[in-house]
Amino acid sequence: MSPAGETFPRPRVAIAEPVNHDRVSAILAGKQIFDDGAGAEADLSFGRSPEDFQHGNRYQLCLIPQESSREWLGALVRLNCNYFIESFDQIDLRDLGPIRTAQRGAKWDLLVCMSTQSAYQLPMARKFVTALRHRGIIHDTIAPTVEMAVQEAFANSLVHGNLELDTTGHLTMDRFNALGEETARRLEAPAYGGRVIMLTAKKRRNGNVEISINDQGNGFTPPPEKPAPKLPGSESTFGRGLPLIRSLCQNVSFERGGRTIKLTFTPDTKASMPLNSNFAAGVEEAEKAIGESDLRNPRDATILIADDAMISREIIASYLRSDGFTNLVFAKDGEDALEQVRKHNPDLIILDIIMPKMDGYAVCKALRADPAYAETPIIAQTALEENEGRTRIFEDGATDLILKPLNKAELIARTRIHLENRLLVKQLQAYQERTQSELELARDMQEMLIPKPEQYRGIGLDYGMTISASFQMSSELGGDMWGLAPIDKDRLGVYIVDFAGHGLGAALNTFRLHSLIWSEEDRGEDPGTYLEALNRHLKGLLPVGQYATMLYGVIDRAKETFRYASAACTSPVLGNIKTGSTVFLDGSGVPLGVIRDAQYETRELTFTTDNFLLLYSDALIETVLDDGVFLEDDRLLKMVHNIVTETNGSTDLASNLADQFMDRAPVKLHDDFTVVSLQSADISGPKAS
Amino acid sequence: MNYTTAQSGDTIKVDLVGRFTFGDHSSFRKLIEEIRGQSAETQILDLSGVEFIDSAGLGMLLLARDEGEKIRATVILKGAQGQVKRMLEVARFDTLFKLED
Repeated sequence: MSPAGETFPRPRVAIAEPVNHDRVSAILAGKQIFDDGAGAEADLSFGRSPEDFQHGNRYQLCLIPQESSREWLGALVRLNCNYFIESFDQIDLRDLGPIRTAQRGAKWDLLVCMSTQSAYQLPMARKFVTALRHRGIIHDTIAPTVEMAVQEAFANSLVHGNLELDTTGHLTMDRFNALGEETARRLEAPAYGGRVIMLTAKKRRNGNVEISINDQGNGFTPPPEKPAPKLPGSESTFGRGLPLIRSLCQNVSFERGGRTIKLTFTPDTKASMPLNSNFAAGVEEAEKAIGESDLRNPRDATILIADDAMISREIIASYLRSDGFTNLVFAKDGEDALEQVRKHNPDLIILDIIMPKMDGYAVCKALRADPAYAETPIIAQTALEENEGRTRIFEDGATDLILKPLNKAELIARTRIHLENRLLVKQLQAYQERTQSELELARDMQEMLIPKPEQYRGIGLDYGMTISASFQMSSELGGDMWGLAPIDKDRLGVYIVDFAGHGLGAALNTFRLHSLIWSEEDRGEDPGTYLEALNRHLKGLLPVGQYATMLYGVIDRAKETFRYASAACTSPVLGNIKTGSTVFLDGSGVPLGVIRDAQYETRELTFTTDNFLLLYSDALIETVLDDGVFLEDDRLLKMVHNIVTETNGSTDLASNLADQFMDRAPVKLHDDFTVVSLQSADISGPKAS
Repeated sequence: MNYTTAQSGDTIKVDLVGRFTFGDHSSFRKLIEEIRGQSAETQILDLSGVEFIDSAGLGMLLLARDEGEKIRATVILKGAQGQVKRMLEVARFDTLFKLED
């Protein structure tokens, strides 16, 4: 039970399939993760990919499987969860646990914990940094620096810490090879390979980001800080990580006897942090809801009168009451004024400048520094007639100035005008918020046009295929869409659409086209003819100047063909899983909605069980990546080739490609992003030809 | 890290792609064995496809240089960009290798 009789909601845990149920329940029931044993009563959700978990849900913990950790690293970016832990048999957090206590709740903004064996094979540092970027914890501009430092620290903790390998001294090829073999042996040995490595990140209130890398090795005494040797002579660069790390971050410190290395980064002050509404960056700093009074009528406004002289307060109050303002609160000095503001959140403040404890200038400054009161109108009253005082009070944030002795009509006029302004601003804000929520609704509706993972996987299975997809909208609404249209037991139709532009207009058009696609009877016979019919309908519906690119194709499993027609779609990639070879197909054709009688050619090619097909929207090839170049032409083919050869053609090509793209793309995309891949399922049974 | 090799005359060119980090023991070992078997006066390691390198990766490049020296071959690092270029500069690899754009 938690202290003080407080009740905490049951933790929500996302569990990645395939699941080893015994292992998962053992991990959750223990007190290494939740110190109060709350894991035993957790609310569990299961899914085969990060897409399977509802976007709106927030999870306290995600357990990723040992067997397919690679695919699940993508969840760091895509799942609304702070803590990711690999579930493996020997997992023992020892002094690293518990990671979540009933008293403190989440301690870190992001935590990843894996076995040495898995971590060694995975680009963990990179995924960790990508996730920090996407959660708005670090800015794009400092990400490359952070990644280099984390990679070095991570490699050190893994190789020197958990695996206890000695890489100092001159490295010959023989020693390198021996080291490689010893590494492989130790990775297999539970005593080393089963040790845990944990990466955590926390954004401090001052904007600094602290990243720690924790291992379970013997620890070490950090060498005194000294400049890196000028020339990298024959000494191995394996041991040169620490000077490099020191040159990359603001501070490096060690804890747990050298088993924890802590890196501190200060934010790039030139660039502001992008806020990603999907993730709460500072968990502790949950937004406090400010109880806004519903300000429909200026007479209902709450007005704070701050003046050290009782008689002055009474005069102002009587003037205001006579005009119908009755919601008045008072403060007798500067400190009291700030306290009353926090208590009542007034709609207007009438502030005296010369006051004890804290003068009006300081009150103004303090209020303006707090975002909650940055817009509250402040009328400063003063006997000062010289210009200096006037200028200064405006500089410190006053909205208006009124001279003592007060003139009743002037006070009332100014009060009214500022309250009305305030009212207008508030209404405008409310309007914007409403529009925002309507956009979100439309966004949800649009996401429904896209097949869900269980749908496309299920359809894939029906055709003996593995289908994988990744979809991300740029702004609230997008113009991308894709889908599957089963025709008969051998033939599966697939389409991908990109309407020009994004936002509301493009989204409406995707709805239009979606209903056309699903009302059109005959999709099977000829893709070219089908696009021609679709184009004729769409031309009638679309305003001049709006158009879409689209590809529609039919995979025929019996005839082993792919027949398609394209309306200026991006060139699909056709590849061979066994050889890793890749080619672009012809994507040329007139966009939909441009001319009424556009003709579309049906193109046909062989598509066997060895082939895979990749469809994508232009965001994939028209986004400037971290090296300043687009991912187009040969670079895309190379990347696809590498994924296929690295994963031996195993599943989820599109997710893998999307993950690599996200690693290198800016957080905010300018266009919708869609990638879909189709290939034969990885089943070794003979396929009827 | 993946690589492909191509030989023309007495030059062997190796295209490296992907991330080149501490975990790339076995692929690097294979690479060295492959170029050791061929007698080339010039070994060009094309790094234009490498997107990230860590200090262990730099260590492996030094090993390639040592191996090259044994058979009197010149090792050239070619086309490094972005983070890789930055790392080569930080480690002053210009004093150890011939660097080409």
